[in-house]
Amino acid sequence: MNLLLQVNGAPVQVDVEPGVMLLEVLRDRLGLLGARGACGVGLCGTCTVLLDGEPISSCILLAPLAQSHTITTIEGVPDDDPVVRAFDRHHAFQCGYCIPGMVLTARSLLAECARARRSPSREQIAESLGGNLCRCGCYVKIIDAVQEVGS
Amino acid sequence: MTWMAPRTVAEAVRLKAEWPEATLVAGGTFVGILTRQGLLASDDWISLQDVRELRELSTGSELALGAMVTHRRIELDPGVAAGWPGVRQVFAAVASPRVRNAATIGGVLGDADYASDPPAMLIALDAWVEALSVRGLRRVPVADLIVGHYRTSLEEDELITRVLVPRGRHHVTFRKLRTRSREDRPCVAVAASLHEGRVSVVVGAVAERPQRFPDLCATWDPADGASAGEIAAGYADRIDPIGDNRGSAAYRTGMIAVEVRRALDTLAPAALTAQAAGR
Amino acid sequence: MSDPRIRASMRYPNDLTVPGMWHARLVRSPYAAARVVGIDTSLVPQDVVVLTPSEVEPLGGYGCQISDQHVLAGVARHVGDPVVAVAAADEATAREAAGLVEVGYEELSAVFDERDALRAGAPLVHDTHAVSDGDAAYFGLRPLEGTNVCHRFRIRTAGLPQGEPYTADPEPDDHADGFEAAQVIVDETFRMPAAQHVAMEPHACVAGWRDGRLEVTTGTQTPFNLRQDLARLFGLPDTDVRVVCPPMGGSFGAKTFVRTEAIAAAVARRLDRPVRLALDREEEFVTLTRHAATVRVRLGATRDGRFVAKRVWCWVNTGAYADCGPGVAMKMGYAGVGPYRFDHVAVDSFCVYTNLPPAGAFRGYGAAQSVWASERVTDLMAAELGIDPVELRRRNLLVDGDRFCTGETMHDVHFQELLDDAARAVDWRPGGDNRGKGVAVMLKGMQTPSRAEVDLRRVGDGRFEVLSGTAEMGQGAAQAIARLAADLLGVDADQVEVPPPDTDRVPYDTRTTSSRSTHMMGRALEAAVEDLKNGGGDYGHGRVVNEGGLDVDTGQGIASSHWHQGAAAAAVEVDDETGLLTLRSVHAASYAGRVVDRAAAELQQEGSMTMAIGTTLFEELTFDQGHVVGPNLSDYNIPSALDCAAVSQTLLEVEGAEVHGLGETALPPVPPAIGNALATLGYRPTELPLTPERVLGCAEDAS
Repeated sequence: MNLLLQVNGAPVQVDVEPGVMLLEVLRDRLGLLGARGACGVGLCGTCTVLLDGEPISSCILLAPLAQSHTITTIEGVPDDDPVVRAFDRHHAFQCGYCIPGMVLTARSLLAECARARRSPSREQIAESLGGNLCRCGCYVKIIDAVQEVGS
Repeated sequence: MTWMAPRTVAEAVRLKAEWPEATLVAGGTFVGILTRQGLLASDDWISLQDVRELRELSTGSELALGAMVTHRRIELDPGVAAGWPGVRQVFAAVASPRVRNAATIGGVLGDADYASDPPAMLIALDAWVEALSVRGLRRVPVADLIVGHYRTSLEEDELITRVLVPRGRHHVTFRKLRTRSREDRPCVAVAASLHEGRVSVVVGAVAERPQRFPDLCATWDPADGASAGEIAAGYADRIDPIGDNRGSAAYRTGMIAVEVRRALDTLAPAALTAQAAGR
Repeated sequence: MSDPRIRASMRYPNDLTVPGMWHARLVRSPYAAARVVGIDTSLVPQDVVVLTPSEVEPLGGYGCQISDQHVLAGVARHVGDPVVAVAAADEATAREAAGLVEVGYEELSAVFDERDALRAGAPLVHDTHAVSDGDAAYFGLRPLEGTNVCHRFRIRTAGLPQGEPYTADPEPDDHADGFEAAQVIVDETFRMPAAQHVAMEPHACVAGWRDGRLEVTTGTQTPFNLRQDLARLFGLPDTDVRVVCPPMGGSFGAKTFVRTEAIAAAVARRLDRPVRLALDREEEFVTLTRHAATVRVRLGATRDGRFVAKRVWCWVNTGAYADCGPGVAMKMGYAGVGPYRFDHVAVDSFCVYTNLPPAGAFRGYGAAQSVWASERVTDLMAAELGIDPVELRRRNLLVDGDRFCTGETMHDVHFQELLDDAARAVDWRPGGDNRGKGVAVMLKGMQTPSRAEVDLRRVGDGRFEVLSGTAEMGQGAAQAIARLAADLLGVDADQVEVPPPDTDRVPYDTRTTSSRSTHMMGRALEAAVEDLKNGGGDYGHGRVVNEGGLDVDTGQGIASSHWHQGAAAAAVEVDDETGLLTLRSVHAASYAGRVVDRAAAELQQEGSMTMAIGTTLFEELTFDQGHVVGPNLSDYNIPSALDCAAVSQTLLEVEGAEVHGLGETALPPVPPAIGNALATLGYRPTELPLTPERVLGCAEDAS
């Protein structure tokens, strides 16, 4: 079937089988490699992309369900984004595999906090990032970075 | 392969009847996992993504949640928080915000996963579902919906359209005992609700379906310190739990006794206040 | 520009695609022990290629220390052992085709427990044990023929009987040797289960042949070992194999030695086109694990708290293939002695085959398993003697000039300061109420002997290139090397490029394990810069060796040219009804010597501690007839952001000291610190992980 997707602000058309996941469309068809598959069950968060600004697991989202939503991947986040810069300043990464998912999820949290005019606490940040696993164990610095942007 | 995206509930149930082999897609989480793991290879799909009425949420004499309403929306809705604290609490307890963005109330009930949190609370709150087919609408108490391991009492061609939760259950508690990561699914979950002097305790995540024993609940005397423990021991005695990576059957039996007692102890002050007020 | 890892501006091995490449998928044994008796490919589509064990048998066997593996298994020795490989032009076709291959098996007897494997009548996982002669077999290997022991390591200090015959007795005799002067003896047995590395990026490689040369792009911490093993398998000189290693999405020991590369290379040779082999998460669980181990420790002391003797037994479950298990068993053996003075020390460590998936390198490299046992016993002794656990350690800790049980003289050791720092972090009250608090202190070796070489060249525009075999897996090796080189050259770090290792370009390095790289590469760079300055300024070569090694029959020699030293402390609470253990704080103090990159060093500490929390509280591979139960991240939990609330750390530096590796140091002392804290609350933990169920099970008050 023919899908019309809005990816990082631009419309793209792809022809896919209905049973294909959004992750494969992004990686294999559109060359956007920042979303990764690491667990196959939507738990680890490395496949995170934003759908209308909210994080979802792209590895278990059937691609047709992503139509009529805006999709944001890490490639759509500019280098001078405050969250990206904060991660860089705090060195909130090691291998980097989980970091795009962390950055996207953090941006969504911070946008929600900005709308509510509040700063997230460390516990709230951990809550929001609880579904993004980092085996390298960068949680402390990641929370530091997000807290700094949110304050 | 065919991807069908009906726009109305009527069209959805008609398609379901015409395409009995087609896979119904709500939020897509469960279906996505099964497909990705190679456990489901569907040729035809019926997606509910464009059925607007299934995304409606209304608060009145009852809370009406369309089947496609996400966990995240339930968690954040001020009307739900004000009138149905138990519903808010249990949906907020599921996994992570990212998972809650996609998971729907219709999906979690339809999947009947034994470790899911919402069913236990919805049963404790006396909620029911509306199930629609070409043959008409049925109302099914959530207590009668989940009948076994990933099995519901729905007919093949039925679709959950709404979940309805009666008003007035403000004294609720939801306990989720996680034995490993704080992101883990529960080893034992207990939902308890107080309404008009009655307590309803439901234990989830320990067996194929949520476990409730109204006769035991009816014996509760919040003023008697031993009563909660006796009821809890009764639950532990009657339930034959599963064992898995979160705990053995024997451990679960022990924890049912602890968690049910703690749930009742949490509600005891409110129950005593209500008794004193003569309600 | 921000670091490329933040916005995915770099490529991992898993991302690599090559024009014309095909995709391989594996058919794996569903039995823990079985002979392949037939392979039926009649349902497999014509355009899918199938590779079977008989086709690769002529290549022979391989194994970094014991040569016990084959490219595909004609005799499967664990559930998940790859038996057949299929390849197709696209992954979906390959995946489907793998499911259509029908393999006939004749089931054989299997054994799963490391001590059961030593009992009379236990089936032999391998009939013979052939020692490898590759670089990774850098110490004397001692398999016990006719048993499941592929290596045994022994320490006997000078005053003890020497040269006793070897028996791998799972219930060793109660020798009194060395304990005559002990007035109090504690003897306890401990267990740490198998675990999985769960690097976020699964294993993936692309292999291709070009003009008779094999080129492999893969994630590996051991490029030169891999090159050597592949060369020998395919009958090539080392220089006809090229290993390129892009930065990995984590490894922690999982991506070491031959994993997917030999199969991919064999399929690529058959197809005469490049082949990609990438594993699913489920497959990761049967590819490499952390050694389960049973460790028994007997400690003897005088009543006034002086350690007299220590006896350690380690039964190390290496699974179906030895991999680097012999080395792990050796390191587990001496780490289990601990940083203390003794009159007499005897250690016997056995690397034992079972029909579980193979175990290999895992952060901590054996130290975690034996330090768990050893430091718990230290506290058990403290309780017996009625001496404060911190004070008891103080009385016995090694200081500069003391001899370790291997006979080597300790230098640059700071166990006292590290222990004091850890104790302070939990507000330890000397001789007072320290309920809910625990400490631990440990030492871990760095690969000795080893060799590091590096090339340094000027590339114009004031820029330099460092050619180093150190692999990047998130630890920040490339940036540390760049910084070290820049400091030595007197330039900015961004004027130094450190490309990923390519064995066609970089000089030899032993491997990126054992937290050796910053130290060894740093020293090699000093030599290279010196060479560059002496030679005209355009090119320099540095070569550094750390000498040493142990006699595996006596355990005497130099175990480590310098020591990784760490202490930890924990404060915990327990819900006595559910057994749920809550960490109020966890602190690790590690000796850094000299910190090169502070943020990277802190991250290594925090990462090690996070992994240790998983090890201590919930990580455990369980098996059912050799099948991993729940090989997925829902059933196997790793720590999330919500699990490591109160983690803190100290990096101890000393003016003028050598750089000490930090990649693993903060992992081994954390589990016993937590276990010791739990023990003050009426529990006697011996087995990890400390799940609520296990906590209740070790309650001292049995009611």
